[in-house]
Amino acid sequence: MEIDYSTLENIRAAQNPDGGWPYHKGGSWTEPTVYALLAHQAGRMAAPRSAAAFAWLGVAQQSDGGWTPRPSVDRSTWVTALVALLPPETMGAGRHAQAVAWLLGERGMESSPILHLSEFLRYGRLPEGPDLSGWPWFPGSAAWVTPTCFGILALRKCYWRRPTSELRERLAVAQAFLLSRQCADGGWNHGSQRSRGYDSGAYPETTGQALLALAGMDAAKLEPAFRLAQRFLREQRSSGGAAWLRLGLLAHQQLPAGAPLFEMPCRTVPDTALTFLAAAAEQGYNVFLE
Amino acid sequence: MTRRDFLLGSAAAGLAGCGRTAATRSRALVKVTRAASYSQELYETMRRVLAEHRLNVRGRRVLLKPNLVEFEPGSVINTNPLLVHATLEAFRELGASVAIAEGPGHRRSTLDLADAAGYFRTIPDFEDIFTDLNLDEVARVRLPAPVSHLRSLYLPHTVLGSDLLVSMPKMKTHHWAGATLSMKNLFGIVPGGVYGWPKNVLHWAGIHQSIADLHSLFPNHFAIVDGIVGMDGNGPIQGQAKPVGVVVSGRDPVAVDATCCRIMQIEPSRIEYLTLAGGLEGIAEENIRQIGEKPDSVETPFELIMELRELRRVKA
Repeated sequence: MEIDYSTLENIRAAQNPDGGWPYHKGGSWTEPTVYALLAHQAGRMAAPRSAAAFAWLGVAQQSDGGWTPRPSVDRSTWVTALVALLPPETMGAGRHAQAVAWLLGERGMESSPILHLSEFLRYGRLPEGPDLSGWPWFPGSAAWVTPTCFGILALRKCYWRRPTSELRERLAVAQAFLLSRQCADGGWNHGSQRSRGYDSGAYPETTGQALLALAGMDAAKLEPAFRLAQRFLREQRSSGGAAWLRLGLLAHQQLPAGAPLFEMPCRTVPDTALTFLAAAAEQGYNVFLE
Repeated sequence: MTRRDFLLGSAAAGLAGCGRTAATRSRALVKVTRAASYSQELYETMRRVLAEHRLNVRGRRVLLKPNLVEFEPGSVINTNPLLVHATLEAFRELGASVAIAEGPGHRRSTLDLADAAGYFRTIPDFEDIFTDLNLDEVARVRLPAPVSHLRSLYLPHTVLGSDLLVSMPKMKTHHWAGATLSMKNLFGIVPGGVYGWPKNVLHWAGIHQSIADLHSLFPNHFAIVDGIVGMDGNGPIQGQAKPVGVVVSGRDPVAVDATCCRIMQIEPSRIEYLTLAGGLEGIAEENIRQIGEKPDSVETPFELIMELRELRRVKA
């Protein structure tokens, strides 16, 4: 798949005067702003008005070190992991370290000692099995597949830069969490693999993200996921889903030669940027893994 | 909480109109209308439905909130676009300015989902009148008397700025809540851009309690339930099509949803969010003035998964 550099022009055209990017139109949000910057990184180009973009991101940082989805929201959320994907030197090593510290301190409520105590008091038993903890979308809720994938991708980059036992252990637990949530069909739903006694079905986006987050894992364990992701890619229903599938399959060298190109319109800045990021990954530069 | 938040909270309460308690509740009007299929006849049906409710919406901003959940063309997961368009046209004929908005709980590509569900084909200029509530501007709104542990919620400007919110759910079973109708449909106004996909904060706060809290912000939203073909079994996604052939409507969401439960042969007093929001008085048959078809005459037993069998309504 060839890189279409005009995509970057489209992304630039969507930048708001305040330096951030909207999802589609309107005010700036952290998620599309990070994707726009990552796309420029993948294109090996500095974003025009990048100083304004990073200044906008600075405003969205909270006093606890995490990032809010947009400045009118006063809680740090999963988007902190997205920001931590940006190179530390672009936003400042201090800010980046705060983002990583926030991530290391955040986990799904199902791992909360208070919840364990409450369950012990109610049922007289503690949860069985290892405590497999991922990240929630929003503090005070359970861990889900997508924020856990981004947590892994961000911390793995940190680990490659400067390995520590804390990072290694958290990455191992989060990857085990993902594997424990693999659906019967081989892919990943948003959350559990079963609900109310019924198998949950996998989604393209979450399956692609999980494969990307599990890059380097033993391929034999992921064979059913590869087959499902390849099937999803043939049935693509959204450009974002197709981009995540390509990125996930590429991370395991499982993207079939001649895989169909995107046919769905890119309706948001993140979808446009992800399409570009997938194309760049096919050309050998995957910003999530380098 | 800032002064702006407080004012927005007050505005939401004002928007909600006269928040009635069960003690002061007058008999709520609920209309059950037969509609055999998704056909052109729905346009006339919806004109008559709105006329019977005597809604004064001239010059008002009306926001239709359908239930968009999944890409499955031809399935019964989503509110049918023809019903939404017929409702839009009927409100426009009454002089309202009408928009459509939704914030799906699972899928992020809302416009692709709406496209797959037939909204682009059915509703002219759909993209111009549609807002993805997951990605809209937000403001924090204080919950007036929270039942859950939530004290405030970030909500989209498009919803807060509307004069009349019209919840347009599909009549479906729900494997956690029992039934998903006009009140549960309000989960879709909570922005995924803030809370994620799904909006798990609401689940951790208690599904029933969160529904009651959202209801407290919009107690007089108008409800139009797509029961032409509903879903039973393992709803709201993996269930089976259940033809009922009705549209259920009214301006008291508790009464509308209780009536839908009766049609589905679900005991409304066992749906916790209904009793939290309306009390037993709010869902009592004698406190609901039914017009159109009698619920008994269109009663259609919805299959319930094993864990929800105790919700089955057994008539004396």
